Amino acid sequence: MAEMAIFIDVYKCTACRACQVACKNWNQLKADKTESRGSHENPTDLSANTWNRIRFREVLMPDGKIDWSFFSDRCRHCDPAPCMEASKIPEAIVKHETGAVLFGEKTKELYFQDIRDACPFDIPRMDEKSKKIVKCTLCIDRVTNGLKPSCVTACSTSALLYGPKAEMLSLAKKRVKELGGNACLYPGEEFNTIWALPDTPKHYGIAEAPKIHNYMFAGSKLFSPLGKASLAVGLIGYMRTRTERNQ
Amino acid sequence: MTNHWIDIANSDCILTMGSNPLKNHPIGFKWVMKAVERGATLISVDPRFTRTSKKSHVYAPLRSGTDICFLGGMIKYILENNLYFEEYVQEYTNASFLVNPDFKLPGENEGVFSGLKGEKTQEGYFDGKYDKATWSFQKDEKGKIKKDPTLKDPLSVFQLLKKHYARYDLDIVSSITGCPKEDLLAVYKEYAKTGVPNKTGTVLYAMGWTQHTVGTQNIRTMCIIQLLLGNMGMAGGGINALRGESNVQGSTDHGLLFHIYPGYLKSAKASQATFSDYNKANTTVSDDPMSLNWWKNYPKYSASLMREFYGKDVSLEDAYSYLPKIDDGVDHSWLTIFEKMYEKKIKGFFSWGQNPACSGANANKTRESMKNLDWMVTVNLFDNETSSFWRGPGMNPKEIKTEVFLLPCAASFEKEGSITNSGRWMQWRYKAVSPPGDAMSDADIINILLNRLKKVYAKEKSVFPDPILKLRWEYGPKDSKGNIKHIDIPMVAKEINGYFVEDKIIKGKIYNKGMLVPNFTLLQDDGSTSSGCWIYSGSYTEEGNMSARRGKDDPSGIGLYPDWSWTWPLNRRIIYNRASVDKNGKPWAPHKPVIEWENNVWKGDVADGGLPPMASGKPSCYPFITQVDGVGHIFGPGLVDGPFPEHYEPLESPLDENLLSKQLVNPIVKRFDIVKGNEKINARASHDPRFPIICTTYRLIEHWQTGVMTRWQPWLVEMEPSLCVEIGGDLAEQKGIKQGDKVIVKSARGDLEAIAMVTVRWRPFRILDRLVHQVGLPYHYGWATTAERKYGKIDKKPEFFTYGDSVNILTPNIGDANTMVPESKCFMVDIVKKV
Ligand code: SF4
Ligand code: SF4
Ligand code: SF4
Repeated sequence: MAEMAIFIDVYKCTACRACQVACKNWNQLKADKTESRGSHENPTDLSANTWNRIRFREVLMPDGKIDWSFFSDRCRHCDPAPCMEASKIPEAIVKHETGAVLFGEKTKELYFQDIRDACPFDIPRMDEKSKKIVKCTLCIDRVTNGLKPSCVTACSTSALLYGPKAEMLSLAKKRVKELGGNACLYPGEEFNTIWALPDTPKHYGIAEAPKIHNYMFAGSKLFSPLGKASLAVGLIGYMRTRTERNQ
Repeated sequence: MTNHWIDIANSDCILTMGSNPLKNHPIGFKWVMKAVERGATLISVDPRFTRTSKKSHVYAPLRSGTDICFLGGMIKYILENNLYFEEYVQEYTNASFLVNPDFKLPGENEGVFSGLKGEKTQEGYFDGKYDKATWSFQKDEKGKIKKDPTLKDPLSVFQLLKKHYARYDLDIVSSITGCPKEDLLAVYKEYAKTGVPNKTGTVLYAMGWTQHTVGTQNIRTMCIIQLLLGNMGMAGGGINALRGESNVQGSTDHGLLFHIYPGYLKSAKASQATFSDYNKANTTVSDDPMSLNWWKNYPKYSASLMREFYGKDVSLEDAYSYLPKIDDGVDHSWLTIFEKMYEKKIKGFFSWGQNPACSGANANKTRESMKNLDWMVTVNLFDNETSSFWRGPGMNPKEIKTEVFLLPCAASFEKEGSITNSGRWMQWRYKAVSPPGDAMSDADIINILLNRLKKVYAKEKSVFPDPILKLRWEYGPKDSKGNIKHIDIPMVAKEINGYFVEDKIIKGKIYNKGMLVPNFTLLQDDGSTSSGCWIYSGSYTEEGNMSARRGKDDPSGIGLYPDWSWTWPLNRRIIYNRASVDKNGKPWAPHKPVIEWENNVWKGDVADGGLPPMASGKPSCYPFITQVDGVGHIFGPGLVDGPFPEHYEPLESPLDENLLSKQLVNPIVKRFDIVKGNEKINARASHDPRFPIICTTYRLIEHWQTGVMTRWQPWLVEMEPSLCVEIGGDLAEQKGIKQGDKVIVKSARGDLEAIAMVTVRWRPFRILDRLVHQVGLPYHYGWATTAERKYGKIDKKPEFFTYGDSVNILTPNIGDANTMVPESKCFMVDIVKKV
């Protein structure tokens, strides 16, 4: 199979959360026990049972307008993938030819915190019972059988699309261009889940594309001033994700 | 909908008001987005910044219950800036008709129209009734309506409209609605742009317009705007009600409500002793040869319905005599039914596919009323707050004698049948799985009920057994005793379409007995045809089940898809489509033609009425064929509370005055509170310092109706586990309430616990010199799936509990003057932090 990607057109997303349920449905993941914190956002975090969730954020802008944004948080399927690099067991985490980063049986044997810490986006979670580390699979069991990912099929607005990576990238770039302003391609080109964000990652309270990524793995920018600055930005973004309580 | 979902994509301007389609109609909303992608403007007018507002180009807030005022201001803007579609208004509406000189507008008559009879209090008239004698048109010696095509006569509808809405200036509209003037103007300006011939605007409304004491008039105001701008009958235009339940259109079409029979035929009244009295009262007469006056055909449809009910062995007269008659002027709407139950006048109750203990306004009263029943049958998928009302909060089961029967029924996927969507498309669905256990389809439950009833009526001496014993019931295979074993749904669909019950020659063509009627234009008033619902005649013909068609061709290019399912009437996708062309049959908007007269035939959609265009020199007709005078009604004397919409405050309002007149509230509404002495069960609290905050209700995407189906679903409860009350930041601060706090919302009728959701999406309204706050809560919750209740041994426990009871604990049982739809969108409350 060719290299594929999911493109998430944030502009179109309406937070209908069909994708959140469809992911649980296909992967037969249980519901998390939640309570209302006075927000529509729930569950409050990714978990072994929640691999995709919509983050809500509402802000009263200085001009009196309301910005209400929705972000589908899930594995970015990085290329290369920091989680994979951090894995001490080669078969535990693999990059599939479709672009999916897959966590296998052997993740049981990994030290979970290492993997979680390695991920710039705080995606991996451990299933307490099996001790396996789990996350979005990019629906590998569907796409290798001619189906689209479950969340993509369920999306009510076509905010989620799945297709050859080149095609998805060009759609994403087109949307970014149309949106103008602070709009950006997120996290970047070297990922198999890509977002067209109408505003900066900071606005959405999500970790920036870690240039740290290039720094650690590409090697070329080693110790360059730019590399250091990016590392700092990356870390701040990462910490924000971990600590912030969103709407 | 006059139009349909796909047609929204043809619009140049979409006004969402009284609806939040992005959240509540997420799939249909893609047609809105398609229009936006093509350059349409999207407007959201809502008290709260909603998800639809987020997607809109223009957002304007308004205080709940002030829509007529908001739109009245738009009418004034359109008229004063000459933005209306002149030719359309002159030719296709009653704007040129001259009105009775004795007719008085509210501006010159203490806030009410001429002819009001009623008592008066400080708040103005109440429990009134209009004598509509002056709401009439001037006629010449020959009985023809007098017209002034120049629209200049001061007594013309057009000039009266201008005069009426001249009072709705920006200052007053802004003071009443709380909407800033610049926002009002932004909406008016954008929407009025559709007044040019080739542009169209559409409105998408839902319960935010209907659930008010002026609900019908809210919609009427928009109808006037649509007529002024020439948006009716056009692609991307129309008046479009978004239905809140997948088959609510179908159930209304088939006579669900007390005042109508299938196909919107009228319920028989006590004063209409004979079938001819009944027909005469409901058949309209027009002397104008250009008026098709569709309801002249009434006797054909009523006779066909009698044949369907009682067959050809019972005379039409006898069949009519079997029908129950409603006493003149008595209403049997929901609110009245529960009033009667509360007064112990109703003893038995079938609660079919519903959960009134949560769904009906003033839930405490509804629940109390059920105690007075001897028996109640509930037909539902799950036990719910209604079937278990006797063990709900505040109930003492030992003191309740009501015997409750819970009959398990099939869910929609577990049975075959049709569903009619908002766009009037009748779409056939097949059964996916069999219902579990003893559950059976509603139709089969009704069948068993009828078989048992017939048995009882045959055995025991009853006073009037024929209506039951002679009821025709040809809906499935029969057993040896002649009873239907189970209902065959396609047979029901065929009966709805209708048959020739005897051989008949029409215009030289022979139709044999037993043939399915091709469509309703062939239904007869002599008893030779049957039809269970005339508007659906044509849906199941000798060619097959039209609603099961799945053809994907769109020769029109405007998304009519005529071979996909079937639409009433006659597969016409856009009704009033004759108004989309000029008198020569040429489309006003040639780039999106609905119909077009070409080479002596209509092309495109099924043309209304079928006759050639008005200027063709051949027999023709005016465009609005169901109106007796053939034109769109800007002056609409049909409603009970006024020929033009007038702003009145909601029954529960923060104000003790109507800034436009001396009449505070709609004078026609039925006032349970006054009549019964404002006891707590029917209480109203308007401009009452105990309840200073406006409250409204709405829905979530994650739950469905009263939540009977969704509150059991862990994946859905996970997302929306609790009843939340959305509160603006200022109000929360004032009340010392923080995000996630437990609070109590109080109305004059009850208290309700909820979680506080503090949000920037609610902001206070500036009304005159003060700030008025509004809050809102979703529907969907109920005590039966909560942790606090007791679960018996056989009770199923939900995997995850929900929190909170029905929002209808708070809502008032006060209904719209025309429809008795409760005013659930606007009432007064207070909020306190739970300690
Ligand atoms: S997002 Fe995290 S878990 Fe997913 S591939 Fe990248 S590093 Fe691994
Ligand atoms: S791609 Fe599959 S696993 Fe990943 S979020 Fe979508 S549904 Fe879930
Ligand atoms: S299904 Fe699509 S529109 Fe709905 S929340 Fe997910 S991404 Fe957004």
